[in-house]
Amino acid sequence: MNEPRIVFDNVSRFYGEVLGVNRVNLSILPGVTSLVGPNGSGKTTLMNLMTGLIRPTRGEIRVLGLSLERPEEVFRKVGYCTQFDAFPKGLTGYEFIYSFLLVHGMIASEAHKLTMQALDRVSMTAAGDRLVAAYSKGMRQRIKLAQAMAHGPRVLVLDEPLNGLDPMARAETIALFQQWGGEGRHVIVSSHVLHEVDRISDQVILLSHGYVVAEGQIQGVRSEVKDQPMQILVRCDRPGMLAARLFERDHVVEAKVHADGKGVLVRTRDADSLYLLLNRIVMDSGLEVEAVAPADDDVNSVYQYLIGPEGGAA
Amino acid sequence: MAVYKQTYRGYDGPLTPAWSRFLILPRYAFEEMRRSRFFTMFFLVTMLAPLIFGLIVYAEHNLSVLKMLGGRGDLVAIDARFFLNLLGWQSMMAFFLAAFVGPGQISPDLANNALPLYLARPFSRAEYVLGKMSVLLILMSIMTWIPGLLLFALQGSLQGGGWIGQNLRIAAAVFLGAWIWILLISLLALALSAWVKWKPMAGALLFGVFFVAAGFAGAIDAVLRTSWGQLLNISHLIGTVWASLFDQRMHRGAGAVFFRVHVEDVPVWCCWAALLAICGLCLYVLGRKIRGAEVVR
Repeated sequence: MNEPRIVFDNVSRFYGEVLGVNRVNLSILPGVTSLVGPNGSGKTTLMNLMTGLIRPTRGEIRVLGLSLERPEEVFRKVGYCTQFDAFPKGLTGYEFIYSFLLVHGMIASEAHKLTMQALDRVSMTAAGDRLVAAYSKGMRQRIKLAQAMAHGPRVLVLDEPLNGLDPMARAETIALFQQWGGEGRHVIVSSHVLHEVDRISDQVILLSHGYVVAEGQIQGVRSEVKDQPMQILVRCDRPGMLAARLFERDHVVEAKVHADGKGVLVRTRDADSLYLLLNRIVMDSGLEVEAVAPADDDVNSVYQYLIGPEGGAA
Repeated sequence: MAVYKQTYRGYDGPLTPAWSRFLILPRYAFEEMRRSRFFTMFFLVTMLAPLIFGLIVYAEHNLSVLKMLGGRGDLVAIDARFFLNLLGWQSMMAFFLAAFVGPGQISPDLANNALPLYLARPFSRAEYVLGKMSVLLILMSIMTWIPGLLLFALQGSLQGGGWIGQNLRIAAAVFLGAWIWILLISLLALALSAWVKWKPMAGALLFGVFFVAAGFAGAIDAVLRTSWGQLLNISHLIGTVWASLFDQRMHRGAGAVFFRVHVEDVPVWCCWAALLAICGLCLYVLGRKIRGAEVVR
């Protein structure tokens, strides 16, 4: 089977009385997919499910067309980097990656070659012969990433992979995710850092209390949130006049001159009508418009609208 | 939606046989043990008894040594009891080793949530347990049945005259008796390690299961005027099973140090059943605790 998707078909997982995730239907395509949600929303449960570490109470999961009942095939295609700093005692970075490649079934010479490649990809070649216990938090995070991708998985599941990384390492790691995504791999990332999720992701999955609240490209998700007026920033030469004209319309909830005096921040219930109106104003009054851009179609805004500031479903 | 070129190519190189992968785990455990001076010293000390027993076997068949010792034959009878004593002593040493090494096998992985490292691979829970257990199986084999069988072969070669053929039961008893003990103690050490997730506590619990349960068994027997309490006494259970393996007619009290044999107290089949029940309980605990992800309740 060459189906390039990770499919959750009505999947639920309960821990006794406690809900992990409920009625999840997903079809995840290659690229970088971010799982976003507050603590306890089900992100790690979803990751554990797609890596076969726990079984669904109900429903079915297929990874690239493979059932998780066939772990020998599935685990060759999946690499998992957990959020925990767990390393066997007394191993160097090199030994850490190398030994788990042997567990994977690689022969010694191949395992050595792949280990060196993995160390190189996370810029850890020079530190490979040092004990993991002596690594900084950022180095440990990178060596975990290296062990997750060393065997060349097509699906990378990374739980909070940017934690503990300094800005430079974050930028490098994000570039790595985008490169992996660009190669046609699935890179599933969970993160609390919403502005980074925006930069990384091709699509997002928003979770709250074990339910998938929204999924897809973030602009698409935002446009589906009808009960929250869209925010649009219009950069122009006469913001006061524009604000007055816009405010005459019913669908415009708010029109506020921007703090720098060079634009208007508009909240509207009907973005399409606003764009038409804007065209008319430009034609009628000769307004010079420099830029028109949505101001709240990022993950942070969508998260606030759908999940709420405290992490409870809005 | 982005359109990606499928430039990614997965690993398609050669693979090792699936059955052999569990042996990666003991490799690193042995390396870590080798760094412990205490462990190395202890392991060397455990080899003293087989050496002494070997010297006895050699002396028994060497005329000049016998003359030096007074010229009488039969220094020590090389029979089932001789081998049972060796097995008893070495098994006691193996128990101490298991209490030292066993708890460190699984508890750190559980305490640090490291199991996904192993189990998010083509590597099953059974292989993980087998890999961790093989550390104990290999070390305790080197201490128990391997020297036992080497001594058996030495005695056979020195005695000649079909001694080996006449005493095959001893060899089988050494091999089987040692393996029962090795499996029992390994499973107990791993199960306790998985249960408490804390290395020192797991070591202490292993001693507790052995000695406190023996005391409790004695108390039950004394209060209820019965011998069924001995079903809680692991040394009694294993001693009785060994006695049946070596020779049912052996005297009461045969064995070494804390493996006292009381063949008439509790039927042998009950001892077998109790040992199987303990192993089953250990497997149940391991099955519950060894999971790829912590189950939240």
